[in-house]
Amino acid sequence: MIAREMFEEFKAKFGALILRADLPNDHRLFVFIDRSAVRSVCEYIFRDLNARYVVSIGADDRPFSGDFLVAHNFALDHDNVLCSVLVHLPADHPIIDSISDIVPAASWAEREMRDLVGIEPLGHRYLKRLVLPDGWPEGVHPLRKDVRWDEVPESFDENREFRFDDPPAGCTVVPFGPFHPTLDEPAHFRLYVEGEMVRGCEYRGFMVHRGIEKLAESVMSYNDIPMLAERICGICGCVHSVAYVQAVEEAAVLKPPPRAEYIRTIMLEIERLHSHLLWVGLACHIVGFDTLFMQSFRIREPIMWIAEKITGNRKTYALCVIGGVRWDIAPEMKTELRAVLDKLESDWRPVVSAVSHDKNIQKRTRGVGVADPALVKNAGLLGPVARSAGIGIDCRHDHPYAAYDRVDFDVITERDGDVWSRVLVRMKEVFESIRIIRQCLDKMEPGPLQLEMKDELPVGRMGLSSVEAPRGESHHFVITGENNRPRRWRVRAPTYQNLQAIPNMIKDQQIADMTISLGSIDPCFSCTDRLETIDLRSGTTKVWSQDELLKLTQAKKVRP
Amino acid sequence: MNGDVIWMIGRGLLNMGLVLLVAPFCQGILRKTTARIQSRQGPPVFQPYFDLLKLLGKEDIESGETPRMQRFAAYLTLATALTVACLVPMGIAAPMNGAGDVILLIYLLTLSGICTLLAGLAAGSTYSLVGISREMMSMILLEPLFAIAIVVGAMHAQSFRLDAVLNGSVYAISGFPWSGLLLLAVMLLSFQAFVQRVPFDISEAETELMEGPLMEYSGPKLALFKYAQMAKLVIYSGLFVNLFVPWGSGLMFPLGWLLFWAKVLVLVLLVTLVAATHARYRIDQAIRYFAGLLAIAMGALVLASYGY
Repeated sequence: MIAREMFEEFKAKFGALILRADLPNDHRLFVFIDRSAVRSVCEYIFRDLNARYVVSIGADDRPFSGDFLVAHNFALDHDNVLCSVLVHLPADHPIIDSISDIVPAASWAEREMRDLVGIEPLGHRYLKRLVLPDGWPEGVHPLRKDVRWDEVPESFDENREFRFDDPPAGCTVVPFGPFHPTLDEPAHFRLYVEGEMVRGCEYRGFMVHRGIEKLAESVMSYNDIPMLAERICGICGCVHSVAYVQAVEEAAVLKPPPRAEYIRTIMLEIERLHSHLLWVGLACHIVGFDTLFMQSFRIREPIMWIAEKITGNRKTYALCVIGGVRWDIAPEMKTELRAVLDKLESDWRPVVSAVSHDKNIQKRTRGVGVADPALVKNAGLLGPVARSAGIGIDCRHDHPYAAYDRVDFDVITERDGDVWSRVLVRMKEVFESIRIIRQCLDKMEPGPLQLEMKDELPVGRMGLSSVEAPRGESHHFVITGENNRPRRWRVRAPTYQNLQAIPNMIKDQQIADMTISLGSIDPCFSCTDRLETIDLRSGTTKVWSQDELLKLTQAKKVRP
Repeated sequence: MNGDVIWMIGRGLLNMGLVLLVAPFCQGILRKTTARIQSRQGPPVFQPYFDLLKLLGKEDIESGETPRMQRFAAYLTLATALTVACLVPMGIAAPMNGAGDVILLIYLLTLSGICTLLAGLAAGSTYSLVGISREMMSMILLEPLFAIAIVVGAMHAQSFRLDAVLNGSVYAISGFPWSGLLLLAVMLLSFQAFVQRVPFDISEAETELMEGPLMEYSGPKLALFKYAQMAKLVIYSGLFVNLFVPWGSGLMFPLGWLLFWAKVLVLVLLVTLVAATHARYRIDQAIRYFAGLLAIAMGALVLASYGY
């Protein structure tokens, strides 16, 4: 089914409730519907068409159309169609029917919409604050266009604390986080524990929400944003930068030159290689198997070196611009990259065979943190988590982008949906990535790296892009705008969906399994926002406030 | 005071000093070997000495719920380890032979576990409490293992005297030593747990419990705990060698003594190797494993009482 056929079906079923549609190509469908039909249309797409929920987006469109805008995005993975269901909401009455009881995976996105844009999801069962800090006043929604990007409301109370829900009767609370040796970034899980068994948990994250979307929509330009997008994540930065430029390119109907597409593919796969090797190491460290942790880091290091040789950096490659890439892969670099891949393959094979036959690791990971296909569907789980449950979704295969339609590779799946299956999936995907890079190196033709662009980008166009990050699909949604920058840019990282299923995955398991279950989705939170220094001479402790830190960074001092 | 008593105390102190001197070195060997297995350079072999000195020189911070108990636990744990060192023969005859018997030894070994519980209680955080509940669960199954080994030795040797029991007494019967060999297997399989290394470092599990009972320790108090842990590795290895690998202990002074330490070193290397090639067990898995071993040990005890 292509997008046009899908639209015909919608019209036949919902008639006048479908207002209009935008069909830029066979693989994209933007359909505007009446606000009363949101639930029935979403239910039809999610249940009857068996689509995968991607994300919901709220946008303040008042300066342009006078309305608020809500988009529910779905993916039809078998048909290579990404579909966006859009609803206009009147400026004085931004309320929309919640779809979170039909599509449980939409819960966070609707809460975020309420926090940041002030669109009320009617009928949502758990409307606790998700993104905004606890001291942030009610009624100020940072993503509205009338709020400045650097505005901090006067009534903001920095010291106000989060109020947790009451634990169920008979359970004690074990705080997991905000800082914990196995969490590389701050996030707080309050585990409700009976003896050694976890009965439930509450999550409070977004402690380091950096307002990247707002920053991009307010002060940056189209070609600055790839550099910013890259800094969303410390591991899969290139994914975000590619996803963003692809979304813009799609909105503006641009096609980058083939060589640029190959180079993007190669760098994405290099990133997947280093991410998967890192993950296998960390997973082993979590279960106390440090030898494999060290070995996989040793094997990983040459990948970082070759990335540095190609782009000048071990990470944050600064690769993409709209319509192309900035770095070329020279012939001598090709030879070197091939050698690195050969070495990696021969180093990795014994590790895989050692781990596959290790009873000890299996004991700790089999039957742990299980996500069954029903949970994958309802919570919208992605990447290795979905593939380990036997659901072979992979954007590289389902919604090919860059040069993935020109290379041959297998989508690795397992059946059990537990941590062990995730270990296997990731270990085997390393070989697929090597295969993809080799094919790209063979097929790459000389040619330009960037598109020549003479005109300004069109205004008010929408673009969607899904890129398969090491952890699952990264989805970017862009509405192009004035002043050489997008009007709305929404990023949905894979952890956003996968993290929502953690309470289900750890329920009725041991505390000891919590860390590896959480680790198995390869979570990705973000960097710190507060720090403490101690004056050695006087021995006094000083906690830096957000304000002081901000001043410190703006003064461009090297060190306090 | 007569000369014998002074000589006895002197040799006890000598043993104590020896353990204090050798323990960080064994730790150094362990760390270096681990590093080599992991394709790392690893710290210098003498690094643990400097680590301890550094920790001892740091500010002594009072923290946790009951700082006094915390301090007491740190002193007690090292004191216990060193008292055990006085009782165990380290390549030469048991120094304080008349001052205690194997029953005292069993008590002291249990006491060192109690110290960990005290430390965890003193910290009072959720993690340390989870840590000590794990420690307690494994102690209930682990302590009897060593006790059975010693009791079987005592039964065969017909004595509770240290020098009689701690000299391969588990094999000391006329027939084939079934019970002794069974216990040797049991102790080999549970040895990692006694010295609190992977896969049985469950109560401290850095990536789960952030060091559990030790989480509030820092500076000199942490140094004492770490020192006690290093000493435990040497002492338990010594006990194991005395009980199960006595061959050659009767050799002339430097030879027998050197052989003893060589055996201890081999045991330390074995511990390292196992720790470097295993993942940590979960507490329920460990408990089931220990329970199985305990059943076998009980079987050995029954065999021993019938003279096998």
